[in-house]
Amino acid sequence: MSQRALVSTICSPLPAFEVRQLSFRYDSVRRHPFGDRSNWVINGMELTIRQGEIVGVIGPNGSGKSSLLKLLTRLVRPQEGTIRLFGAELGGLSRESISRQVAYMPQDLSYDFPFSVLDMVLMGRFPYRRSGLWNLVGWERQEDLAVVEEAMAQTDVTHLATRMIATLSAGERQRVLLARALAQVPRVLMLDEPTAHLDLNHQLDVCRILQRVHAQLQMTVLLVSHDINLASQYCDRILVMKQGTVVCIGPPQDVIHPRVLTEVYGCQVLVDTHPDTGLPRVSLPAQDRHQTVAASGML
Amino acid sequence: MIVHPSPSQTSMSDPPPTAPPVPMRRYEGMASWQALRARRWYAVIGVMMLLTCGAIVFCLQFGAHTLTMAEVWSALTFSTAGREDVARVIIWDIRFPRILMGLFVGASLAITGAALQALVRNPLADPYVLGISSGAALGATIGLALGLGAIVGGLGLPLFAFIGGGVSIVLVYGIAISQGRLPMHQLLLAGVIVNAFCSALMMFATSILNPASLYKVVLWLMGTLSAPSIPALIGIGACLLIAIVLLLRESQALNLLAVGEDAACSLGVDSDRVQRTVFFVSAVLTGAVVSVSGMIGFVGMVVPHVVRILCGADHRLLLPVSALVGGILLMVADTVARTVVAPAEIPVGVITALIGGPFFIYLLMTRKYRFFA
Repeated sequence: MSQRALVSTICSPLPAFEVRQLSFRYDSVRRHPFGDRSNWVINGMELTIRQGEIVGVIGPNGSGKSSLLKLLTRLVRPQEGTIRLFGAELGGLSRESISRQVAYMPQDLSYDFPFSVLDMVLMGRFPYRRSGLWNLVGWERQEDLAVVEEAMAQTDVTHLATRMIATLSAGERQRVLLARALAQVPRVLMLDEPTAHLDLNHQLDVCRILQRVHAQLQMTVLLVSHDINLASQYCDRILVMKQGTVVCIGPPQDVIHPRVLTEVYGCQVLVDTHPDTGLPRVSLPAQDRHQTVAASGML
Repeated sequence: MIVHPSPSQTSMSDPPPTAPPVPMRRYEGMASWQALRARRWYAVIGVMMLLTCGAIVFCLQFGAHTLTMAEVWSALTFSTAGREDVARVIIWDIRFPRILMGLFVGASLAITGAALQALVRNPLADPYVLGISSGAALGATIGLALGLGAIVGGLGLPLFAFIGGGVSIVLVYGIAISQGRLPMHQLLLAGVIVNAFCSALMMFATSILNPASLYKVVLWLMGTLSAPSIPALIGIGACLLIAIVLLLRESQALNLLAVGEDAACSLGVDSDRVQRTVFFVSAVLTGAVVSVSGMIGFVGMVVPHVVRILCGADHRLLLPVSALVGGILLMVADTVARTVVAPAEIPVGVITALIGGPFFIYLLMTRKYRFFA
């Protein structure tokens, strides 16, 4: 256990998430008569996420990464198993109290409606709204606005406040969504592919903001990514998933290993060391060596 | 039409797309500025209400017999009390109920359209997309075919239409609901199906009607506000009031749902409840409106877009302003409809499309509207 993880364990005895025997499948999948468990998206998962760490979730498409995030935010209910959020059973919490603790930044939103950036970030205050007879529509109070202003400053979108969300670049949109998540003042931040479709510089932007926020607010961050190098560089621990189960979880140095990755992704992977950080770095082998394991029978 | 108290707020809701990056200092007081936004809400609603009152008085002047402003005023204030006054009878017995009906119907169509566009996340949605209107039309046609239009003191036709609307609400909901949830694409499909089915039945019914009844049906379908009965007026007014309160309560949730359902849920929106509430409120209000006025097109789809261009997409402002703009539009359109070829009338739906269409095109072409971006 790294020193930092040790400190955070001492400071906070309760883990951010404690997942026990979790199984989930989408209802539309028909139940198999002979107890076949192949259509379960999450299959008997065991997982503990400590408070204040950055955990990267990697795995091939359809391994259940996004479903795991949806389960942890209670967007969907598991068929079996329990999830504890800071010691409290997730099913026993109201939607609003979950969203005051967990912010979820989705992969894709619809930008058809001409909302401004400020409109978007203000939506992050929804779990704290108080509407009554004299405030039927639920206008934000002063403290809400202060939080929103702070969140926008942190993600550097203050100058975009009046812009329409549809006119922004992908990188700017991502920062706006991050500001919206921060406006929730969550204890856990969950991100689904935060750097997808971003160029290098914008990827770096998002990661820096994440690191800064994490350092300042001691936020627990859980991010799903296909970019293993990025996860390796910014995450304390990496969770590798395959077919709805945990293959392994641990610091990047331990987890990002050619054998693990080849087993999970089904193709050959080269792992070397990053010249600056000393962390593992992943790349694909040259074309002629790039064959599926099944075909070459190497393992 | 919407008054912006200061230039900085105008730029908030709709900035020029080519604007250079605004210097930071402008937003230093964002918190206090935002407090102003809540105050602006009251200001905009207040101004719109005044405009509505102005429009009512304005519309009272016109008709088959044009009155002067002084006549209208004296009739409104009963300063001619005790005397049988033609102006007073015209205004209180004929024009005022009709204008009020125009206001209620226009407001209902516009607010329903705005809410449904957000709910189904589709800019082409209007109150008739739910299929309730066709059910109501079918009910009305059956009522006319059976010659029951005049029963219950002239309320027979609206009553039949409302029953038809109610049946189709149950049908659409029953088709759309799956596993306790109300998926929006399924709701849209259910609406389309019920629409088609009821239209087919209605065509069959009209094909066997006698010419006199057929003419009545066609007139009714085109939409008219003529000679509203007082119970219908009270009924629609009550429905509208309740609908406004219920929709405003969900207006911030609608903002979130318009952007994305999962994201809205993760922010604490009970999407099942909100979707169900908005569906039922919209469906009942549409049914009621179609029952009393037939199918008046265009208002429900275009007014929300116009208001979005003018004051942004925030439904907390969009819903009430849409209602008032829709009300004003229909009142004025109806005044035109009963004035230009007086003593005959043009169907009011023709006027709304003729006024609103070009106006909407103008707005689309002059300002960069980002709905389809």
